[in-house]
Amino acid sequence: MLHRKRERVSERERASCISIGSGKPHVVWSRLCRTSGHFLRGCKLSIWGISAMDVQHPRIPPMIPENGVAHVGVNDMSVVEGEEAEVPISKSQRRRSDIKVYKEFCDLYALFNMANALANATCERCKSGFAPAEKIVNSNGELYHEQCFVCAQCFQQFPEGLFYEFEGRKYCEHDFQMLFAPCCHQCGEFIIGRVIKAMNNSWHPDCFCCDICQAVLADVGFVKNAGRHLCRPCHNREKARGLGKYICQKCHAIIDEQPLIFKNDPYHPDHFSCTNCGKELTADARELKGELYCLPCHDKMGVPICGACRRPIEGRVVNAMGKQWHVEHFVCAKCEKPFLGHRHYERKGLAYCETHYNQLFGDVCYHCNRVIEGDVVSALNKAWCVNCFACSTCNTKLTLKNKFVEFDMKPVCKKCYEKFPLELKKRLKKLAETVGRK
Amino acid sequence: MGNWTWRMCYPQKNKVKRLECTCVSLSLQWKTSKSIRNIVVESRKKNLLHVDLCDGNIYDLWHVPGLFNLSHITQLALSHNKLTDLPPCIVDLRNLEVLNVFNNYIEELPSQICSLKKLRHLNLGMNRMSALPQGFGPLPSLEILDLSYNNLSEASLPSSFFYIVTLRALYLSENNFKVLPPDIGKLNRLQILCLRDNDLISLPKEVGDLAQLKELHIQGNWLSILPPQLGNLDLTGPKHVFKAENNPWVIPIASQLEMGTSSVFEYIRSETYKYMYDRHMQSSLEPPEMNSNESKKTSCKTLAT
Repeated sequence: MLHRKRERVSERERASCISIGSGKPHVVWSRLCRTSGHFLRGCKLSIWGISAMDVQHPRIPPMIPENGVAHVGVNDMSVVEGEEAEVPISKSQRRRSDIKVYKEFCDLYALFNMANALANATCERCKSGFAPAEKIVNSNGELYHEQCFVCAQCFQQFPEGLFYEFEGRKYCEHDFQMLFAPCCHQCGEFIIGRVIKAMNNSWHPDCFCCDICQAVLADVGFVKNAGRHLCRPCHNREKARGLGKYICQKCHAIIDEQPLIFKNDPYHPDHFSCTNCGKELTADARELKGELYCLPCHDKMGVPICGACRRPIEGRVVNAMGKQWHVEHFVCAKCEKPFLGHRHYERKGLAYCETHYNQLFGDVCYHCNRVIEGDVVSALNKAWCVNCFACSTCNTKLTLKNKFVEFDMKPVCKKCYEKFPLELKKRLKKLAETVGRK
Repeated sequence: MGNWTWRMCYPQKNKVKRLECTCVSLSLQWKTSKSIRNIVVESRKKNLLHVDLCDGNIYDLWHVPGLFNLSHITQLALSHNKLTDLPPCIVDLRNLEVLNVFNNYIEELPSQICSLKKLRHLNLGMNRMSALPQGFGPLPSLEILDLSYNNLSEASLPSSFFYIVTLRALYLSENNFKVLPPDIGKLNRLQILCLRDNDLISLPKEVGDLAQLKELHIQGNWLSILPPQLGNLDLTGPKHVFKAENNPWVIPIASQLEMGTSSVFEYIRSETYKYMYDRHMQSSLEPPEMNSNESKKTSCKTLAT
């Protein structure tokens, strides 16, 4: 019976042997209850002495054979003696007690063999025998001295009896991790528990992330892209970028034709329809105040278009010269500075600031040949500075209020005119009359 | 017999004889020699830049003492006097910008006048000049030149005249020009060209090169046709002046003139006109009968008695 139990245990042990690389380290339990054959996990180890104190579960009841008769053990075994003497014994009861005795004998025999076996036992490690009352460690059928059952690296006893075995050597938890546990490629720490193996490296499940968006890849899978491990969406995006195409933010497919940009994101135009007329949109749909409109509806709404950049004006509109402008685009045609509300001067469909308008088109004084700053005297198809306007024959200063005549389109003061030859004056008078008649 | 133009060579002090011609009108505001002297003194004292010596019965600038010491002045008006020439020391007035000797008796100019580097306005109208001095060339700043009412003709203009490229207004009215020298095209900054009441029988085509021309006065001549190149100009704007009446125009031009300046210009730009012009030039047409223009300018002509 014991033998069978042992086999069962060994099967279980094999199933849980250490294998590097499966990502799940397993532990070989060193303790098994000699009596029940169960793992003694978390229990205090009681050393089995030659006194045949079994290594067993602390509170396990005495072994009960199949027929229910109590086990007659060397220690802690209660013999229900009183019961047999007091009660008349039936036939079946006698048979049971025979079996009980037989079983007791078998157990004793087994124990005896065990004791013998123990006398010849050798420590697995140092191959020397055990002293009569020495503590023996039993691990999976292997026997060790207490001081031989130590970590192969640090030669200390295993804390809580937990050891890890690899290639025939046992290590305590710390040293095992030190020597054999894989290091995460991302953070450099030991990986305990689940190990992600990818890209020729090991990772913590949380450390293995997309190179671009840092999404955890452990459960979603990844794609190799130019030596990087990317999540699938990033990979698609990269691929699309390489092709120079946009990825529709709605269906996440590559946009083959011209994308519709809405709120700074590209989309397939046909995902949307016009807010006004409901028609399916094309790439030349327009966004206005957060809504999308097809081009005809948008234009019908009378959104002003800036005369300079040809883009719709949202915000302050400058109305000038029969067109609309962005505030910053309504600039002087010469110096390109925005007017910002200051006066502009128009000439031939272009707007100029005061300085440049005068520079280019300003009235030039007939007398001093400079652009007239200040008041302009306009007469005889010409212009003068206020201070320059004078009689052409005597240089006397004139104003428009003074009396003067025109002579060859020049101003002549009355005094000078009166000094003209009489025949000239007559001719001029006659000429004036014919012109008047016409 | 003899000149009717009288000249007082050496007027007595304080006694100025006033000569009366049929056309000189009385003026009660003529300056006495004393007041003239005062003007000069004042200008020097107060550093006045404009000097007005008009109508001062001045025969000779030597009788204006200290005038040529006023080297600071910029404007000098000597109109309506009796000067027959300008002394060469005029160059001492090196800051002079405006010189007005309108209505004097000047027959000759000194060539030193060309040394006035800052001279911009020169009014020599209503004088008795028949020719400009040979060296009348390199006046570096001259912008307005008034030579109206003289005795000038195309021969009077020296070739150096057309190198005054700074000219923007040229008044040649009431002279004796029969043709205009083609060098006129060199004065490319010319804005005003006045040829009123001359004897022009044709306009040179170079007038079409004056791209800045704003005013063209050709009335009172003997022109019958216009060169088609004149169509290169645009004299139809609001600030432009085109006066062409009193000419014996061919009928097509005359009729277009009646309708306005823009019609004329449109017409002379047309192909039909160009064709007609070429034909006209090819056929040797006599210049039309010219009436004597002598009667025009009585005050400047020598009367034959």
